[in-house]
Amino acid sequence: MTEFTLFRHTPGIDPTLHIWGWEIPVYLFLGGLVAGLMILAGARLLIMRPHERQAMVCCTIGPLAGLALLSLGMLALFLDLSHKLYVWRLYLIFEPTSPMSWGSWILLLVYPALLANALTHLPETIPALAKRAPMLVTISDYILARPRLVVAIGLANITLGIALGIYTGILLGTLGARPLWSSAVLGPLFLFSGLSTAAALLHGILVFTTPDAERPEFADFLLSLLARWSQARPLDTRIAPTLAQADNSFLTIELALLGLLLIGHLSSTAVHQQAAWLLLTGPYAAVFWIGVIGLGILLPLFLQHLELQHRIRHTLAPSLLVLTGGLVLRFVLVNAGQASHWAAMLN
Amino acid sequence: MNAPFFKYGMFGDEMSLVVAFAIGIGFGFFLERAGFGKARLLAAQFYFRDLRVLKVMFTAIITAMVGSFLLARFGLLDLSLVYLTPTFLVPQIVGGLILGFGFIIGGYCPGTSCVSAATGRVDGMVYLAGMIGGLVGFAEFYPRIAHLVKLTPLGQVTLAEQFNIPYGLLVFAVVLMALGAFVAAEWAEGRFGGKTPDADSLLAPARRFTPVRKFAAVLAVLGLVAAFAGSPYRTALARVDTRQLALDAGTKADHVMPAELADWLVEGRNDFLVVDVREPAEFAAYHIPGALNVPLAALTPDFARRNERIIFYSDGGIHAAQAWFLIRALGFPSVYMLFGGLEEWKDTVLFPAAPLADASAKDRIDFARRSAVAKYFGGTPRTGTDATPVAPAATLPKLALPPPTAAPAGPNSVPAPKKKKKEGC
Repeated sequence: MTEFTLFRHTPGIDPTLHIWGWEIPVYLFLGGLVAGLMILAGARLLIMRPHERQAMVCCTIGPLAGLALLSLGMLALFLDLSHKLYVWRLYLIFEPTSPMSWGSWILLLVYPALLANALTHLPETIPALAKRAPMLVTISDYILARPRLVVAIGLANITLGIALGIYTGILLGTLGARPLWSSAVLGPLFLFSGLSTAAALLHGILVFTTPDAERPEFADFLLSLLARWSQARPLDTRIAPTLAQADNSFLTIELALLGLLLIGHLSSTAVHQQAAWLLLTGPYAAVFWIGVIGLGILLPLFLQHLELQHRIRHTLAPSLLVLTGGLVLRFVLVNAGQASHWAAMLN
Repeated sequence: MNAPFFKYGMFGDEMSLVVAFAIGIGFGFFLERAGFGKARLLAAQFYFRDLRVLKVMFTAIITAMVGSFLLARFGLLDLSLVYLTPTFLVPQIVGGLILGFGFIIGGYCPGTSCVSAATGRVDGMVYLAGMIGGLVGFAEFYPRIAHLVKLTPLGQVTLAEQFNIPYGLLVFAVVLMALGAFVAAEWAEGRFGGKTPDADSLLAPARRFTPVRKFAAVLAVLGLVAAFAGSPYRTALARVDTRQLALDAGTKADHVMPAELADWLVEGRNDFLVVDVREPAEFAAYHIPGALNVPLAALTPDFARRNERIIFYSDGGIHAAQAWFLIRALGFPSVYMLFGGLEEWKDTVLFPAAPLADASAKDRIDFARRSAVAKYFGGTPRTGTDATPVAPAATLPKLALPPPTAAPAGPNSVPAPKKKKKEGC
């Protein structure tokens, strides 16, 4: 298989790239989110003792949601392919110098790791399902009886999660023809953005299931229906503050990494400076400052800080803001990256 | 640095949104602190049980009104530069009714729904989602009702102008009205909401001179001062800083290059006024699309709003420069002239000259762009390859009036040249 080297002299690439629509940012967002869920689930599995029964939201619901979200992301990625029938060819070879090749293999390994993590505690989360399929209990017992296997699953989740989170950034970073993307910071940036969205998602699920006088009736109805069907006990909300705290740390690191990305570009060549100004004052400035920095990072940081100080209730608002912010970050970086170009030197 | 900042081009569209965001967050914060994130409290307004909304809003209105009047009177603020939303009576009444019904049914107005959503209330989030859906629907539907929206235009009017009463008197009347409304509100809260008035409120039986009463008294006094203070608007005989005028004239700060103006028109920007100061006959023969004809002799202090960004042009540059000086001296802060006048407009925009044979790649790209712009305005690029400059007057084709409705440079039959087609793979 011949791999294209994406530099100039290719139509559709010069002066601005315009081949990526909504599919790629959506995949990058969902991929990052799943990576974050894997890392949190893996870490939780390592930290708690095998028979401790309290981490449903991290260790079962997280990975299950991860499986669904990753499938959606893969669908978006598949829709983006020009030659959809040749997708199997990606798995005939492993090319160590190509992030794309790394990605396709990582994605293949992510599924069993997520599944194993979900299966470990599945029977106690959804007893109804376990009753219908006794297999699940057998598998869960098998895993939980072997502490080393639990540790292995946890480690595999963390490792693959980090790989999945970073590779998307490296993938963009290796496209030297797009000045905005040519930075090594993109990898960690996407990783921490993914972690923050994952923590926000889990925090949001916890908040949504917490009994609350002001919750609208349709939510109560849905939840009671779900509880009756799965015969599950309510989620343990004691880890909500931990998740909010983790989310705040991730958001702070993400903010610092964004700063580093921009500083790196601003202290580089004129082309890179122009790429950075696209975000800072150019056509993407409003979305960047408002969507990514203001609503996506600073406001949820502030709200969660107040929550942690017990000044306000835990609410859905910060998690929705963080999730939207993560999605907007991918859209801005992909679109502004495609618009940044070396031909800027001419003007 | 002149305010209004956005209008005078201190920052572009993108930055204006960022500034709006910062202001909006501040506004939302104070709304939340006033308790406006709770639908029940907002709805209590309509049952006269809790009139906090009325009190807060009226306080904001009279504070801003008295403040801006006095600042203008003391010369710290130029009221003629403050943007006024044009009034369209019937559409605005209909819009107000729709908003009011939405407020009663949903329990929020647009601003308070954002506040409520940010504090994590699910009903606020639902309201916000509905609002965004409504925005999208309205944008899709707008072309069909665009003509209704422009019904009964009254222009940019103020109450003082409309009823021909002194501005200061109006300020005083509104202050009195607000104070009356506060008293009535507290009475209604006691009557319908069963609230006993606070110890230091306006209606409390105590005779102490409480902070609230002090505030009311100060407002009343300031309103009284305003009533006798005269007009807050600067007259045509305002002070002219001749030194500043000379400085501006000496630098290029008062110029707009023809190519720049052409780009703005192509982009469809409408935040400036192009004024042709030639005679009507010359204007009829040819003018820059969207330009307004105000002959030099007809220039009066009220030919345009003071907060407009105005660009003068004439055939050469002399009449435009005279108009520039006149209007600057009348206190218009943001006035420019087209560099080189219509002559330069023809040379560089309508009939741009091709670059020399050995020109750099940058020049070639530049020329391709300018040719597209020239075609947009109905001109033709001069593609004579010989290096000797041709005498413009001899070879220029006769100028014709640009296509039918010459007014704003809307999308003509020629598509905007800069749009790129976005394609998938």
